[in-house]
Amino acid sequence: MPQLDFFAREESARRHTKLLELYFALAIIGTVLVTYLIFAFLFAARGGNPYDPKFLLVVSVGTLGVIIGASLFKTAQLASGGSVVAEMLGGHLVNANTTDLDERKLLDVVEEMSIASGTPVPHVYILPDEPGINAFAAGHSTKDMVVCATRGCLRHLTRDELQGVIGHEFSHILNGDMKLNLRLMGLVFGLVCLTVLGRILLRTRGRKNPLPLIGLVLLVAGAIGVFFGKLIKSAVSRQREFLADASSVQFTRNPDGLANALKKVGGCGSRLEDANAEDASHLFFANGLSESIAGMFSTHPPLEQRIRALDPAWDGKYISVNVRAVREIQSIPARMARPPQPGDLLGGRIPGAAAVPVSVIGAALLQTGAPTQRHLDYAADWRSKLPPALDAAAREPMSAVALIYALLLSRDDTLRATQLEQLSQQTDPGICQQTAALFTSVLKLESRARLPLAALTMSALRRLSPAQYKQFNKNIRYIIESDQQIELFEYTLQKIVLRQLEPTFVPPKHPIIQFYVIKPLVPDCVTLLSALAYAGQTEPAQIDAAFRQGAGKLNIPGLALASPADCSLAKVDASLERLNQGAPQIKKILLNACAETVAAAGVIQENEAELLRAIADTLDCPIPPLLQV
Amino acid sequence: MIFIVLLIGIIFLVGLVVAFYVIGGYNNLVSFRNRFKNAYAQIDVQLKRRYDLIPNLVETAKGYLKHERGTLEAVIAARNVASNASIKAAQNPGDATAMKELTGAESVLTGTLGRLMAVAEAYPDLKANQEMMQLMEELTSTENKVAFARQAYNDAVMVYNTTRETFPTNFIANTFNFAAAEMFVIDKPEEKQAPKVSF
Repeated sequence: MPQLDFFAREESARRHTKLLELYFALAIIGTVLVTYLIFAFLFAARGGNPYDPKFLLVVSVGTLGVIIGASLFKTAQLASGGSVVAEMLGGHLVNANTTDLDERKLLDVVEEMSIASGTPVPHVYILPDEPGINAFAAGHSTKDMVVCATRGCLRHLTRDELQGVIGHEFSHILNGDMKLNLRLMGLVFGLVCLTVLGRILLRTRGRKNPLPLIGLVLLVAGAIGVFFGKLIKSAVSRQREFLADASSVQFTRNPDGLANALKKVGGCGSRLEDANAEDASHLFFANGLSESIAGMFSTHPPLEQRIRALDPAWDGKYISVNVRAVREIQSIPARMARPPQPGDLLGGRIPGAAAVPVSVIGAALLQTGAPTQRHLDYAADWRSKLPPALDAAAREPMSAVALIYALLLSRDDTLRATQLEQLSQQTDPGICQQTAALFTSVLKLESRARLPLAALTMSALRRLSPAQYKQFNKNIRYIIESDQQIELFEYTLQKIVLRQLEPTFVPPKHPIIQFYVIKPLVPDCVTLLSALAYAGQTEPAQIDAAFRQGAGKLNIPGLALASPADCSLAKVDASLERLNQGAPQIKKILLNACAETVAAAGVIQENEAELLRAIADTLDCPIPPLLQV
Repeated sequence: MIFIVLLIGIIFLVGLVVAFYVIGGYNNLVSFRNRFKNAYAQIDVQLKRRYDLIPNLVETAKGYLKHERGTLEAVIAARNVASNASIKAAQNPGDATAMKELTGAESVLTGTLGRLMAVAEAYPDLKANQEMMQLMEELTSTENKVAFARQAYNDAVMVYNTTRETFPTNFIANTFNFAAAEMFVIDKPEEKQAPKVSF
């Protein structure tokens, strides 16, 4: 059961990665040693001197070179994001405006979960040629996530079961398993390369050719290396799978969904037919390869064990699945959600309430990266209440662009007219018309709906070509800069959109953690807290009080509110960039401080709550929608 | 002795670098090819929507345009041809023959639709019909979306083709049979008409 909070889990995942690299280093050294020993034996048998340092050098450098080189290569290949893995296995990207009912169902489930957990909507792929029931998630951070399901999944699982499976994948994402898994792929590939090289050399011909012998040695030594590599991979992966199962249940509060999905896997099978499945076997939901003998190499715990953990009363019978059944076209029932009570949502919606306890936000922050079923209900309810015109607009690339422009346009009529005028010169007249039309609908939206709506547009926006994206980027910056009274919220919304889109068009830069203590980041924290204080309050006394309350959480004496000039948008931008390079524990302290500043007046307005979530998103911390505890 | 070892080592390293370069180039080509295929899928969605709208349009107009049966039938026929062409193109996005067929069929369809609109001008009842106006609106909007998706597709095809033709990736492309992709270009029938010269 995940007792640790999101930040502690991130830390723990990082430590595990380091440990993993250590084990692999040992495995590599072992392999090199074995290679050297075998070569030395053969060399000595032919009368050479095996202790010759040049010989040792050649063998070890050669072997190391192949392993490390291949490892680095694979890691670099995977660095461009999870899409590489999906496409390697033959996946097709699912369109946001698809009419296929199966794909629609998958998209709806994934979108609901993203909104409920506060993460960006991932790329959704399907493996159309795979009949087994299986799914995986891959990616380095929440910004370049990919979720992929097989056609078998869509055909045989009900919505609840599909939700259990996708919840499992999201848990992998939120538990930080993704970086670990991709690292594993890179490292094992290095060892596997040795055997591949050996196999190639084995096939060469020629009289007195030493190459086949070398090849044989490499094959044997490499096989031993791969043995250990797979052992490590399996041990790590099995533990993670149990954790993900448990997190999924916590998320959906529906152990039956996941349990039934696993039972169907028992009945139908989860084997993947693609040849590349071996490389990615540890990423999958269920075992994607045929059952290996000892079970030591299995990347997943035994199916029965997993089912019993979820359903102790299980009778041991799998659910048989008719693989040949023609699926009936059925309409997708919306998730039966309990609509949120008036008291659920924070901010101005509690009739007659004067003050909201400040501890509420603190408790809500604890749910970072650990959404629950109430968040899912909230997300489903929100989706069902969204005007269909806006929903449809969010799914098409062209109207998604118009929608984002509309969300960022100024409320001031004259300024808006100028902005639209300028836009019409830079972009398609069709888009301009739609922007103007959508603006009226957007104006009526509550502020809590803006972030999720922007999140929904992500899938469609990723369909832009690089040239179109550049234009989009330019136009957004123009809209923001032309409005002198730009509010902090619009600014963070724009930042979120661009940050979430960028990995699709530009190879993602993974922020390396540079700060492990908060001291060097204190000026940036002060800038951010001051900006928040100014955004939330109007009276100087209140602004000061808000800042002081937040700064108190940093446990650093002598902090003073910055002047308005010192917390301009450009400065806040720079500060957020630096703060993003802090360790998870620093981000936790900072977010707590921000929450205190936002909650200082006692009554939290909706837009302040959303602002907090927006800032958390720029720091890569997924805070679910803030609900009353 | 050391010299030989060093030589082997250097050759080995160079070989490794070349191999990785080739693999990198190959992966790039595969990735760009997937990208334009995905971009085509977006066009396909919009085209399908267009082909679904047209029969509705013809049904609505039929009641008013009783004497213009020829035009209406031409529209339906053109729509069917285009629909078939688009299915073939969807199975093999970027393939030169399939794309040319599709662009040809699409321009014929646009031409017939244009003629239908010209004919409908003479029937004010039809133009005032609510359903007709809504359908026309949707058709225009869909055509805009097709144009937008086409732009994205053409950009993706350009990137792929450029990578495929530049040195040294062109060797990799030829070895592994990466065919050139065809862009989606709509030719406007009006532009095809020869200018009338009157003395």
